[in-house]
Amino acid sequence: MKLRALRRGTQGLGVLLGIFGITGIGMTHLLFPGLHCYACPLSITVCPIGLLQNLVISGTLPFYFLGAVALYGLALGRGWCGWFCPFGTVNDLLAFRKVRFVRTLSPVKLLVLGGTVLAAWRLADTWFCKLCPAASLTASLPYLGLGVAQVNAPFLLHMATLGAVLLGMALVSRFWCRYLCPMGGLLSLFNRVSAFGLKLGEGCTACGTCAKACPMGIVPHREINAPDCIKCGECVPSCPTRALSVGFSLPGVRGRDPVRPARARPGAHGVPPRQ
Amino acid sequence: MKRALLLLLFWATFAAGQEVALSPVPTDALGDWAQAMVPLRLRATPTQEVKFEGPTLLLAQWGELGLGTARYALLLGVTGDGEAHLWIDADRDRRIVPAERLTSSRGAGYLEWQTTLRTGAGGDYPLGVVWPEGRGYVYLLGGAPRWGELSVEGKRVPFILVDGDLDGTYGSKGDFYAADVDGDGIIHGDPDGHERFSLAEPFTVGERSFRVSGVDPAGAAVKLAPTGYVPPKPPLIPGSPAPDLQFATFPDGRSVSLADLRGKVVLLDFWATWCGPCMEELPKLLELYAAHRDQGFEIVGVSLDTSERDLRAVITDRRIQWPVAFTGKTWDNPLAQVYRVYQIPTTYLLDRNGIIRYRDLRGAELAERVAELLRVPSAPSAKAPEPISLPAGPPRPILELAVPPEVGLPPGGKGTVPVRLVNTSPYEAEEVRVALTGLPAGAKTSGVELPTLPPFGERELEILVELPPTATGIQRARVALVYHYCIGDSCFQIQDEAPLALALGEGKPAAGIPTWWILVALGAGLVVVALLRGRALLGMAVLLLALAGGALAVGLLRGQGVQAWRIASSLCTSCVGIEEVRAEAPTFTPAQRAALQALPGPVHLVVFTTSWCKSCPYAKALVAEAARLSPTITYEVVDAESDRARAEGAGVVRSGKVVVPALLVVPTGRVLFGTTDLAARLLAALGEGR
Repeated sequence: MKLRALRRGTQGLGVLLGIFGITGIGMTHLLFPGLHCYACPLSITVCPIGLLQNLVISGTLPFYFLGAVALYGLALGRGWCGWFCPFGTVNDLLAFRKVRFVRTLSPVKLLVLGGTVLAAWRLADTWFCKLCPAASLTASLPYLGLGVAQVNAPFLLHMATLGAVLLGMALVSRFWCRYLCPMGGLLSLFNRVSAFGLKLGEGCTACGTCAKACPMGIVPHREINAPDCIKCGECVPSCPTRALSVGFSLPGVRGRDPVRPARARPGAHGVPPRQ
Repeated sequence: MKRALLLLLFWATFAAGQEVALSPVPTDALGDWAQAMVPLRLRATPTQEVKFEGPTLLLAQWGELGLGTARYALLLGVTGDGEAHLWIDADRDRRIVPAERLTSSRGAGYLEWQTTLRTGAGGDYPLGVVWPEGRGYVYLLGGAPRWGELSVEGKRVPFILVDGDLDGTYGSKGDFYAADVDGDGIIHGDPDGHERFSLAEPFTVGERSFRVSGVDPAGAAVKLAPTGYVPPKPPLIPGSPAPDLQFATFPDGRSVSLADLRGKVVLLDFWATWCGPCMEELPKLLELYAAHRDQGFEIVGVSLDTSERDLRAVITDRRIQWPVAFTGKTWDNPLAQVYRVYQIPTTYLLDRNGIIRYRDLRGAELAERVAELLRVPSAPSAKAPEPISLPAGPPRPILELAVPPEVGLPPGGKGTVPVRLVNTSPYEAEEVRVALTGLPAGAKTSGVELPTLPPFGERELEILVELPPTATGIQRARVALVYHYCIGDSCFQIQDEAPLALALGEGKPAAGIPTWWILVALGAGLVVVALLRGRALLGMAVLLLALAGGALAVGLLRGQGVQAWRIASSLCTSCVGIEEVRAEAPTFTPAQRAALQALPGPVHLVVFTTSWCKSCPYAKALVAEAARLSPTITYEVVDAESDRARAEGAGVVRSGKVVVPALLVVPTGRVLFGTTDLAARLLAALGEGR
């Protein structure tokens, strides 16, 4: 429980950074390490996906964007999704059902990322922003209150995508992070080489308990630090033999990568050890 | 002393000819023709630092007058009591004190002030300022005419020099002179008058011709040099014989001349299909022609159209049966030049003897005069013809055409030429066509056409061009511009062009060390990571870290951090999906138009935009249209990114972000965001507090 309390604390920090404009600080040059609309009235950071589209539209080679995202990825990988991203936190709050659900659809988020770039390039418009549920929540709704937005077709489209995604989250835990988030897709490329990660130590009996605890529906002990792993550490306390741990470690060391398991698999797959 | 030296220099340079000393003469003594009118745009801030020490103003608009080297700040302000006043920093001390306020006189819908300023050369320069109420510009009225007499074969010939461009310097482009060459005691100085000349034109008195060989910039004297005999301009005033015209009719090619039509009452009509007032008059002409043709009435139409197709369509559709002349040219039309036509519609009504009897008659009055002339079989009418008054000023270009001197095309020769058009006048330019001409054979290009360009509006256009594969090096071409505009019932078509060089095969030169490989290596590294098995991940992580750091550094050095900040610190409502992108031309419903036209009192609007905001052009165009419809509305466009302080002051900033497009209604301070139902919201905001 200590780990989860710590994570709730860092998630709180993520929300705090998202609304830090409440202190009166204006927009900074900082890229947000997650999905948070820069149009949010209280935002002080730049949404990476929003920026990416604008850079593509303006024909700029995105050095600053890719450099910053790669540094974020090398630091925490998708750990940002599990420990920091405010929209990930919304997913967490609605995660009632930790179900395994159509894993094959998970690369869709990379298609969303590709589609976002393609739309910006060919249509010269920020189409992802117009559909983004994070923008619906943190820009459209607040601006309606501030008298800038009005109930019109784009507003209703935003509300429709937000409604659909919220419903998805309630039915499938971390629905957005699993299938649709383009920022999650980007960070997932760095999951195996990030400094922060899960580690499978000695003692795993491959009982599969960790898989039941995983909000992303993966099987941590078999595919440790897989692209979909958000390194939230929900699996860590669930492990009966305390074989799993989460924290900073060097990429590629024993137990960090599924191709270099901590030890040979036990013979009796899926049988929990005697307590 | 300076002036004496200048005169001495002037004298030394042009000692060979006749010098005419000139002295100021009031415009009233000459007539409207000696008065030039030039619009002056007003802005929200002065161009030079000027301190205003007068009362608090609800609305302040600044302008700058240049008279030679002297520059005067002009402030048009509305005080708390709702009265508009004009201040001119007459002593040029960069302080406007209450005593520098001018006394106004009021006309229908406008205010007028009169003042006398000193030119850079030290002379007095009377100037009128007319403000059409509520507008963002004023008209400068004047020309400071100067009078003198020259002596030709013992006769004294009055000579007038006018500073036509109101720049305080005589002899510059746009200035003109007039002389009573026919000795009738009246100077016919109207733009098509036979006694008005541009500085480059010679004039003839009796048997002797002169040209202006020098003008004192302060207007103290002109130097005239004798020149070879030039036939005098034929007068076009009622009572004088109409100059002959000969042409082949369009489209059937019959030969027609005015001389052949003696014995008939002839209406000579200079017109064009693009001229709205001409087309409005056409049904009445058709009716008149049908009614009186048999009694000896004829119409001769000289078309100033450039489009043969348009003219053919109108002649066929309206069944025009009178002879029409078409040369494909407008103001340089040789037939129109005989009559010095500078605006259309221009009409002359000739009697049965080919004498000009009336000018520019329309509708019922025309029908009456035609009937009157038809009743007189041959002898000229004894009734003295009515004098004609015309607005001053020949057609002048109102659009500024800006084209880069050289445009680089990539290898293959396909690219775009950026063209910028600025309307410098308070008139709407219509049917604006821009095209490339003078291209080598085989080149492809597509012209651009704008239906209208609003008063003081700006547009940036791109003309596509594709040169043939054989083209190499630098290709010379021209950007041709054609448009027309109307002032009241008078329309003018203008052609303009700018030279252009198309440089082939010259892309952007590579600057500095190429850095794109960092991004490629970063992507390749990620692919390798996905394929790697175990051990080498640490090494890859270190490599990726170095690449990421490098990419970030390059990005920061290229100012992409600031670019990111700029993008994120402005909220373009249509970009984040708060509303739809609107790019169509804005329109007002008839009810909204009526409401706009009925607005009392001046209203100033400020449109806040950014260069990349997609709906901002719509907001700008809507406000421009509102200002066009309602004389009480003035507006300005502010770039909210570059003038953030102004945006913050106006309340256009929400939680640290500039929201664009936004519209500030100055009198009430009301801010309207976005473009959804903007026309209706603007009207509601304009109606507030009234």
